[in-house]
Amino acid sequence: MKHTIKKTLTVLTAALLAVGATAKDITILNVSYDPTREFYDEFNQVFAAKWKAETGENVTIKQSHGGAGKQARAVIDGLQADVVTLALAYDIDAIAEKARLIPKEWQSRLPDNSSPYVSTIVFLVRKGNPKGIKDWGDLVKPGVSVITPNPKTSGGARWNYLAAWAYELGRNGGDQAGAQEFIRKLYKNVPVLDSGARGSTTTFVQRGIGDVFLSWENEAYLAIKEFGDDYEVVFPSVSILAEPPVTVIDKVVDKRGTRAVAEAYLNFLYSEEGQELAAKHFYRPRLASVAAKHKQRFPDINLITIDDVFGGWQEAQATHFNDGGTFDQIYGK
Amino acid sequence: MRTFRTIVTTALVGASVGAVSPSHAEDINNQIQQLDQKVRILERKLEIADENAKAAAEKTPVAKADASGFSFAAPDKSFEIKFRGLIQQDARFWFNDDENPQSDTFLLRRVRPTIEGTVGKNGEFRFTPEFAGSSTTLLDAYTGYKFSDAVRLRAGKFKSPLGLERLQSGSDIRFIERAHPTSLAPNRDVGLQLSGDLVKDVLTYEAGVFNGVVDGGSADSDTSDDKDFVGRLFATPFKTTEIDALRGLGLGIAGSIGKEEGSGTTTGLASYRTPGQVRVFSYLTSTNAADNVLADGDRTRIAPQLTYYYGPLGVIGEYIVSSQEVRKDDQATTLDNDAWQIATTYVLTGEENSFRGINPARPFDLAKGQWGAFELAARYSELNVDDQTFPTYANPNRSVAGIQSWALGLNWYLTRNLRSSLTYENSSFDGGAAKGADREDEEILFARFQVSF
Repeated sequence: MKHTIKKTLTVLTAALLAVGATAKDITILNVSYDPTREFYDEFNQVFAAKWKAETGENVTIKQSHGGAGKQARAVIDGLQADVVTLALAYDIDAIAEKARLIPKEWQSRLPDNSSPYVSTIVFLVRKGNPKGIKDWGDLVKPGVSVITPNPKTSGGARWNYLAAWAYELGRNGGDQAGAQEFIRKLYKNVPVLDSGARGSTTTFVQRGIGDVFLSWENEAYLAIKEFGDDYEVVFPSVSILAEPPVTVIDKVVDKRGTRAVAEAYLNFLYSEEGQELAAKHFYRPRLASVAAKHKQRFPDINLITIDDVFGGWQEAQATHFNDGGTFDQIYGK
Repeated sequence: MRTFRTIVTTALVGASVGAVSPSHAEDINNQIQQLDQKVRILERKLEIADENAKAAAEKTPVAKADASGFSFAAPDKSFEIKFRGLIQQDARFWFNDDENPQSDTFLLRRVRPTIEGTVGKNGEFRFTPEFAGSSTTLLDAYTGYKFSDAVRLRAGKFKSPLGLERLQSGSDIRFIERAHPTSLAPNRDVGLQLSGDLVKDVLTYEAGVFNGVVDGGSADSDTSDDKDFVGRLFATPFKTTEIDALRGLGLGIAGSIGKEEGSGTTTGLASYRTPGQVRVFSYLTSTNAADNVLADGDRTRIAPQLTYYYGPLGVIGEYIVSSQEVRKDDQATTLDNDAWQIATTYVLTGEENSFRGINPARPFDLAKGQWGAFELAARYSELNVDDQTFPTYANPNRSVAGIQSWALGLNWYLTRNLRSSLTYENSSFDGGAAKGADREDEEILFARFQVSF
């Protein structure tokens, strides 16, 4: 009997070792927001090749895209994301607070507030800018049709909303009530609320609705790249510094044994190669050397920050986007 | 909607023909553009509403209430809970029971609510209590995991995979009571089982290790260290062929092997009953422990079995031999008791017959003149007790050496969930009465109304 048990254990051990020896295929899931599809399509391929060269392991990065708020909720509800690369820190904070999948101080784990690239909000208008839209003030004029997604579900839409609010605060000398009225007028000109930025691109570009699309800078350039001369980018006098952050989801990577590759994946975003890819896809790189190289592509704009004007994302979310916040008050009217 | 937009645009352009003033033409052009935008916006809103509805549907649990029961499930069915039930209300009427009088009675034969479901696609569970009878018992309680179609693991209390008719659901059996082979097959037992398809649609297997129960018995725990190994192979070799007449042929073989050691409190041996559930055979017991007959060693069962379904015709047949080493004081032997049955049913209204029951093509509905499905059934069944049993291990004046039973039945399937049945069964006996005489025949008429879902 003892001989049989020993033999069985030997066979089992050998089988396990054999499985281990061939277990070189790794899959991780990057849950991201709407406009990053094209960037991560290319970035994933470059990273996978690099990882293979360094470790011999085949890594496949699956992507999931949607409105940032919806994506964060999916992770909270159990979507097994190894990493998230979302539109704003508030949505990742929600993952830390509600699902406790990551530590609360997640944002200090990587450089630059865990935002390896930044972006801003610009205006995409139709060729020739027939409505003469140059700044935020033009968006509230009667007869101007504005396309922007729903700030309840889209990170990009929240940046749009806050940029417009900040513009009006700057113009009227800090009158919050005036800013709220300005936003109310702006949303009166919004005929369709998509759930995410990519949906709004479809509304504006493919369905031909609206005069101006409040867009991520990269999304605007992608539309021009794809549809050529039909559109123009307008840089408003002031916009907002959008810092899309990234993090590994600790409990998922530890459970799945993917921490090493997930961390390497995010660190690669900060490398020169990763920054070049970000710039190629119209995200503003953080690395000074790469940013200098692409200076022409990203004009200087007066960029306000969420911390300076709104006291950070938690406060901005509570005031404007939580149930009963200013957006509900405005859009409900 | 796009067609509507084209019509509106065309109409407006048409209306503008003949306009001579440039400013008037510009106004009309503006109106056309505004209308075009409004139509586009409406189209897009509908598109978004459709997308939202689809996204919501993907997340919304599905509640179902139909003939197969009541259930809630995740949209991808990875988590599902089903509520099922079986209620059988019976009546039993005995005839010519002068020597062994029985009480004609109404009774609740089965009252079984079931909660079953899946957890994470591959996990499964089932819980079924039995409320009929003098006390509530736990009938089935198991959890399982499906590794693949070929490998399913189940742990808990459930039917031991041996007797053919025992494995048929209580809601699908064609006579009010099962035939004699079921008296020799284990009922519910606690253990672990692997099962699955060895060849999809052609060959299935079940193999398990269980505590081991007496013939026809159920138990929640073991009284000895020894365990029973039970296995079953069942083939439907022509199921995937074009030979219609043989597609419904099923052949199987099942068996069990184990040890049973009786004691002063538990003999480890079974009693046998008539179709009317009257006990007519039992081993000797005594207040003097040395005079008790006890199980004392190997217990094996072998059970070849057959099913055949062709259109409205159905046949099942099975044989079981149960061998048990027994001891009484210093005397010991191996007793081989066996039983067999052959039963045939025919659906008069033409529906497909099957092991799982009949689904009436025209469910009962007086307003539509529909009466459901009707089925005739006939069966012959025998139980034979080993000759060596008497008189050392059983009293021939009280316990029968054999039972021969024939039965006729009529089943009325009002709907898939409602059924009414009549069974007449006649059983004659070898021995079992004083002075070596045969026990008086049992003649019984059963009636049943059943609700199952």
